[in-house]
Amino acid sequence: MDPSRPPPELIDDAVAEILLRLPPAEPEHLFRAALVCKPWLRILCDPAFLRRYRAFHGAPPLLGLLHRLGPVFDDAPVLRFVPATTVPAFPHPGSNDLSCRGALDCRHGRVLLELRSLSGGFLVWDPVTGDRHTVPDPDIWYFAESAAVLCAAPGCEHLDCHGGPFRVVLLCAEDSRRDITLASVYLSETGVWSETVSLPTGNIYVQAMRVALVGDEIYFVLGNGDCDEIGIGVYDWARNCLSVANPPPPVAYGQCVLMAMEDGSLGLSGIEESSLYLWSRKVNSVGAAEWVQCRVIDLKTVMSVADLGDRARVIGFAEGVDVIIVSTDVGVFTFDLKSGHVRKVDNCEAGGYHSALPYMSFYTPDHSGLSSLARIH
Amino acid sequence: MASAGSGDEKAAAAAMITLISSDNEKFEVTEATATLSQTIRHMIEDGCTDGGVPLPNVTSKILARVIEYCKKHATAAAGEEGSSSSFSDAAFLEVDRAFLEELEEFDDAFLEVDRATLFDLILAANYLDIKGLLNLTCQKVADSVKGKTPEQIREMYNIVNDLTPEEEAEIRRETQWAFE
Repeated sequence: MDPSRPPPELIDDAVAEILLRLPPAEPEHLFRAALVCKPWLRILCDPAFLRRYRAFHGAPPLLGLLHRLGPVFDDAPVLRFVPATTVPAFPHPGSNDLSCRGALDCRHGRVLLELRSLSGGFLVWDPVTGDRHTVPDPDIWYFAESAAVLCAAPGCEHLDCHGGPFRVVLLCAEDSRRDITLASVYLSETGVWSETVSLPTGNIYVQAMRVALVGDEIYFVLGNGDCDEIGIGVYDWARNCLSVANPPPPVAYGQCVLMAMEDGSLGLSGIEESSLYLWSRKVNSVGAAEWVQCRVIDLKTVMSVADLGDRARVIGFAEGVDVIIVSTDVGVFTFDLKSGHVRKVDNCEAGGYHSALPYMSFYTPDHSGLSSLARIH
Repeated sequence: MASAGSGDEKAAAAAMITLISSDNEKFEVTEATATLSQTIRHMIEDGCTDGGVPLPNVTSKILARVIEYCKKHATAAAGEEGSSSSFSDAAFLEVDRAFLEELEEFDDAFLEVDRATLFDLILAANYLDIKGLLNLTCQKVADSVKGKTPEQIREMYNIVNDLTPEEEAEIRRETQWAFE
């Protein structure tokens, strides 16, 4: 065949097949491709193509990290969205609004931020669309807290949750009695918080770490201030009840991160010396649960870092893409559990992050001014 | 050539199908090879393959390459079926792995073509609905597009820029971060 022959013109279906295979974890390629010609721009902004694109790739990619502040009087680092890949600098609401505290959760395309104003409350922010919703404080006095934001669109597969109904689940310790754990749910459709449910949890109270969502159950870390006593709380948001799970394995007594595992179990990871330990909570047919160690990773080897420092901690986990976020004396790293790929995402020293919240979403050319241009032609 | 004729195969596997390229060349292939194409599989199911299957969108040169791919992968599929029915001890796994490696090498070598041929193969794989071949060829183009500027992509694949300078400027403004 004549090697100098120019390639034939492709039909739209064939172009779509090519564009479908551009990686969602590197969104810049999609945006550059949109500038090739009108047919490519049209395909890249076509809702049917984008539905296929998301389904083809499955889990939304990790676009960036947000700081989750430590308990109560933490010295706040600058509030910002730290990109884990090439994405525009989504303007963090806290960068020009002093009433905005750090983030409490990221999930289903949204970020849940805590407001500092007198009336308190929360802000639900969608970095990709820029949408913001304020959520009032529930009518309770609470001390430490953790919280989750969840998409509540019926039948949603959580590949593209923008703009639909959502829930905010607040888990906290009662202000006057820290031995009581409380839970309440906010419904965006009605704008009200549910009746609070409570559970005595002894000396341990809700810790400022991200929760893990497994099915209808939200798991959260309980501990006392010194973390020499630790437990795992469970809030079943469909049945509106609180309980406590079986005690976690010993590795949890440093800092641990709860994880929604691929097999539908609850996972937990923590660092001891320079090894990362992964545990999975297996529940047998009669409902009894036990923790099983499923992986040990020598971080010095995988990170090719001579000295991780004394303060290496696991600070976050991105479910779906199976990426662990580790903070060390030399910066914040992401570690891909499947590929073993390690990336430094932030130079921030250990302690800069109390915990990191993974922001996962598809970022496609329809989320920009390109859609209107694509429609004209 | 492997497979079809070798004694213990089912009669169906040995059934031959004639494919006719746009330049009227005839290719005899086994049904197992032909049915990697969903388009042809449906024609066989509908009983419309007597007298040959005309493929007016595919030249003989490209069809020969497509058949080469299908033959190799049909053998692979047959091999997989065979091994899964056997107990999988280490020796079998070893054979499987060697076979997969060989298939990967075949695919890599198969992709060593000029860009025009690559596009012809994509169009043929799309028309014939051959999932593996479509995936292989489209992934190759997608990988080659990564990290390229729009100008480089147009030049590589002979694509006419039909955006007006104003439109182009507007898109660049909206997507400036992607070019930094």
